[in-house]
Amino acid sequence: MQETIFSLLDVERVYTLGTTGWFRRKTRQLKALDGIRLELKHGDTLALVGESGSGKSTLIRLMLGLEPASDGRVLYGQHDLAHLDAEARKRFAREVAFIYQNARGSMNPRMRIADILAEPVRLHRLCEEQAIPARVEALIARVGLPAGLLQRFPGELSGGQVRRIAIARALAAEPNVIMADESVAGLDVSVQAQVLNLLRDLCRESGITLVFITHDLGVASYLCEKIAVLYLGRIVEQGPTHDILSTPRHPYTKALLQAFPRFDAPLCASLKGEIPSPVNLPKGCRFAGRCAQVQSACLEVDPPLTLLTPERQVACLFPVVNPC
Amino acid sequence: MSHALDLSASFQASSWRRRFLQPLMRQRSAVVGLVIILAYVLAAVFAPWLATHNPTAQDLGAALQGPSAAHWLGTDSFGQDLYSRLLYGAQLALIIGFASVALGLVAGVAIGLAAGLIGGRTEWVLMRIVDGLLAFPELILAMAFMAVLGLGTENLVYALALSFVGPFARMTRGDVLQVKSQPFIEAARLMGVPTLAIIWRHVLPNVVSPILVQAGMRVSIAILLESGLSFLGIGVVPPTPDWGLMIAEGRGFITIAPWISGVPGVALAILLVALNLLGDGLRDAFDPNTQKDA
Ligand SMILES: Nc1ncnc2c1ncn2[C@@H]1O[C@H](COP(=O)(O)OP(=O)(O)O)[C@@H](O)[C@H]1O
Ligand SMILES: [Mg+2]
Repeated sequence: MQETIFSLLDVERVYTLGTTGWFRRKTRQLKALDGIRLELKHGDTLALVGESGSGKSTLIRLMLGLEPASDGRVLYGQHDLAHLDAEARKRFAREVAFIYQNARGSMNPRMRIADILAEPVRLHRLCEEQAIPARVEALIARVGLPAGLLQRFPGELSGGQVRRIAIARALAAEPNVIMADESVAGLDVSVQAQVLNLLRDLCRESGITLVFITHDLGVASYLCEKIAVLYLGRIVEQGPTHDILSTPRHPYTKALLQAFPRFDAPLCASLKGEIPSPVNLPKGCRFAGRCAQVQSACLEVDPPLTLLTPERQVACLFPVVNPC
Repeated sequence: MSHALDLSASFQASSWRRRFLQPLMRQRSAVVGLVIILAYVLAAVFAPWLATHNPTAQDLGAALQGPSAAHWLGTDSFGQDLYSRLLYGAQLALIIGFASVALGLVAGVAIGLAAGLIGGRTEWVLMRIVDGLLAFPELILAMAFMAVLGLGTENLVYALALSFVGPFARMTRGDVLQVKSQPFIEAARLMGVPTLAIIWRHVLPNVVSPILVQAGMRVSIAILLESGLSFLGIGVVPPTPDWGLMIAEGRGFITIAPWISGVPGVALAILLVALNLLGDGLRDAFDPNTQKDA
């Protein structure tokens, strides 16, 4: 039995948007996350997949404790993230590392790479002061960069190099869990492959638990053993990568797969329309408006995430039977 | 190992040169300003050795003399040697200029940091005080403080410093707010960096260069204000060798002995021009907001 690291129990995140009219103040509620149930076990590699605006970043920020849940609970081990004491908070800071989507912005532009990498090592007293330079050199070697970059500033590095430094910094604290937000988006294909290989090797070698945000199913399938598909703040399908890719049960997953070009299958009609705004969620299933096999019941009932098999969950009243 | 150390040391030195010296050296006028200021600083530091007379020794027998072998730049109405007074005056001007700016900077930056970092009610109160200070021009404010504090060199430094607190505080707060919202601050918090270390390591280094540029420009304002106040008789007290006092003293003899006011006046003008040249150069080299097209 693997140890559970994160459990999310019916987590909700509501943003209140204020629009100031001429004379009155209207506030609207934006449900960025709605009824999220998720369990992360030790050694899992989980990909959060979904279109932009589906709430992936919000979910990961909640799991990091950067934002509070409006409702429901986020548990780290046995502890509620909202009520960590100082000791537990410090442990959490060491055990869980985050790689920002904006890797360059997440580094102090006035610090040398050597100091950026040394900071977490020094902070958590992971080794003697004299051993830190050697440690830093080992870190930068581990992400496949030359030690000559250590004296540079983040602004002097290329996009791919900065992402790797971000990975090295995440590794510096020897974490159990790494979370990464779109860490390969916008990179050249070759650089993207290098970064992905690096992450995959790290997970395999050190048994790190990984939560990886991407909107690219190909990336997800390469890196992660499990996939959770998000749509408008709800996990609509979740399960082992292989099963989800071979037999998608939610029409949204199926549509995403079709939008993703493959050699062995013809391109079929992909998703129609844009992702609606989470401000005014429709009654019934949130995907009904774009669903290819919508039925009248879908406009009335909001399907919760239910178990199909012990490993797979889907939030659909009429799960797809035979895929594409 | 020692080889690696040498390498990193030379790396550091060359990058210091690249980040600081080279951009400044590209500003021709800034270099001219820097050279002139260095000459003034040397004159001020070595005043005791360079001076030919005691700057406050009166010799009424030799009053109102023009430049001569005994008195290189002439004497004033009390027979004090203008050349020696000029040197000691440079000392005083530079000390007052730098000391008042340094004091004002420390207080202003502290207020700005507190306001920007703490926020809430503290910020509101602090910024209303700063607004009050900024409501008056520096000269008026410094005059008011001198009236309260009384005459004297030390009080002049405090008065000038107080008049600089407002601008430094407002600027620091703005920069702190801007830096505070950057992702790397959140990243540091997430890594568990203690708050004080975040301020020291991540916030301060990112607000310091515009503050130093501003400080450089303020020194010339401080020296101008200092001379102005002394000229008006509400600064340092006679017979202290001060350029403002010297100019005021020579006013009555402007037709028969124009050098009494002229010598310190020219010295002051050249120093102010040099300080402004350097200040503009610093700004163009390091303040990204006002960077001219290269
Ligand atoms: N701080 C915020 N205030 C208001 N709305 C927000 C905020 N952060 C995110 N949102 C909204 O929440 C939704 C999900 O955003 P996000 O989690 O960034 O999606 P993703 O990362 O999947 O692209 C979006 O509609 C976004 O506009
Ligand atoms: Mg995002």
